Amino acid sequence: MTHHKMVRSIPKENREKLSDGLVDIILKSKRGDKMPDRLAKNILNRWSQGPLTDDDSLAALLEASVLLEPEKTVESLKQKLQMVNLAKAVEQVSAKEG
Amino acid sequence: MLKFGIEFVPSEPYWKTLYYTIQAEKRGFDHLWITDHFNNRNVYVTLTAAATHTEKIKLGPGVTNPYLINPVMTAQSIASLNEIAPGRVVLGIGAGDKTTLESAGVEMRRPLTAVRETIEIVRGMIEGKSVTYEGKVFQAKGARFLFKPQESIPVYVGAQGPKMLKMAGNIGEGVLINACHPKDVGYAVELARKGVDEAGKNMADVDIAAYTSFSVHKDLEKANKAAVPVVAYIVAGSPSIILQRHNVDLKKAEEIREALKAAQWGQAFGAVSSRMLEAFSVCGTPDMCVDRINQLLKSGISQFVVGSPIGPNVRKSIDLISDKIIAHFKD
Repeated sequence: MTHHKMVRSIPKENREKLSDGLVDIILKSKRGDKMPDRLAKNILNRWSQGPLTDDDSLAALLEASVLLEPEKTVESLKQKLQMVNLAKAVEQVSAKEG
Repeated sequence: MLKFGIEFVPSEPYWKTLYYTIQAEKRGFDHLWITDHFNNRNVYVTLTAAATHTEKIKLGPGVTNPYLINPVMTAQSIASLNEIAPGRVVLGIGAGDKTTLESAGVEMRRPLTAVRETIEIVRGMIEGKSVTYEGKVFQAKGARFLFKPQESIPVYVGAQGPKMLKMAGNIGEGVLINACHPKDVGYAVELARKGVDEAGKNMADVDIAAYTSFSVHKDLEKANKAAVPVVAYIVAGSPSIILQRHNVDLKKAEEIREALKAAQWGQAFGAVSSRMLEAFSVCGTPDMCVDRINQLLKSGISQFVVGSPIGPNVRKSIDLISDKIIAHFKD
């Protein structure tokens, strides 16, 4: 499942919360050097245009968050953001790739 | 109206600094200042990326120095940047940081003269002139651009000592005062004012900025904790006369200096007192920061720069500053 498919079903009222949580994980990450350049540029271009709450922006944030901090991302989705289905989808993809 | 600036040290991957920059513009900051130390990411590369991702915020090095970058290269860098962000570029220049220069094997020779001469060469080239200059530190023999630079670029002089402060007021369009306490800022503004008066200018024509170590959080303890490492370094690098002005125990300051040299962070940071925090940072809850900024405003500043560490969580602190501090002064 692509990151786009994963975030498509996130309801409008939860998008800001998800965006905020993922940005927090990405910016706090000590593994910033693992951020692919294309993803960094994509996120920055979208951020300069508006809030990071549309499908494309959330997908990019989720991809970056999982790349930099896979365990923290799943934990945050389950505990802090209460988005258990999304956390499971991330875990499934990680297990397939892993 | 009081302007707000924000300083970033490009020590993290470029995309983090850019994320915060875009956020700062969205949240109402007027100026972006990027520090210039050879051991971090390059200041002009960072500023160029910032210029391409922003529309309104003014931006410039905060501050570059004449020693590691020759004046003609500084002129070239800011003139090129001004093509990308026309009318938004400012040049912050000071004598530089002695420790960083020493580690590059560069002597800080005649700082006052070096800064003044650099500004004269830079201004001449930005005006499109062929610059021939016989200075005590710098020379130029017909230095000119092969392109047409766009409009003038305001120069802000970073200053701490009395002579540099006076000169900053005299020749700068802006003064960056490296201080946090109203006592220090008031003293600095008066010195800058002398320079302004001597030049026959009005204080209103010069942007006087307090360039501070800043930390804000709703929880005072968290705000203080984030400021401690920065204040430890400031105390360690401050001359006795400054420490005595704030009744800081000189033995304690020496203890911090030695602990930092020995990389004993716990000991160094543990020795930072609340008096030191008060003297060398603006930190606390949003209300406490507003009070302090009001005191600095009375001293005569026209710009307040939030500098490192900004807060325990930079992104959340930028939002807090925007909602509780900038809104207070701009509404």
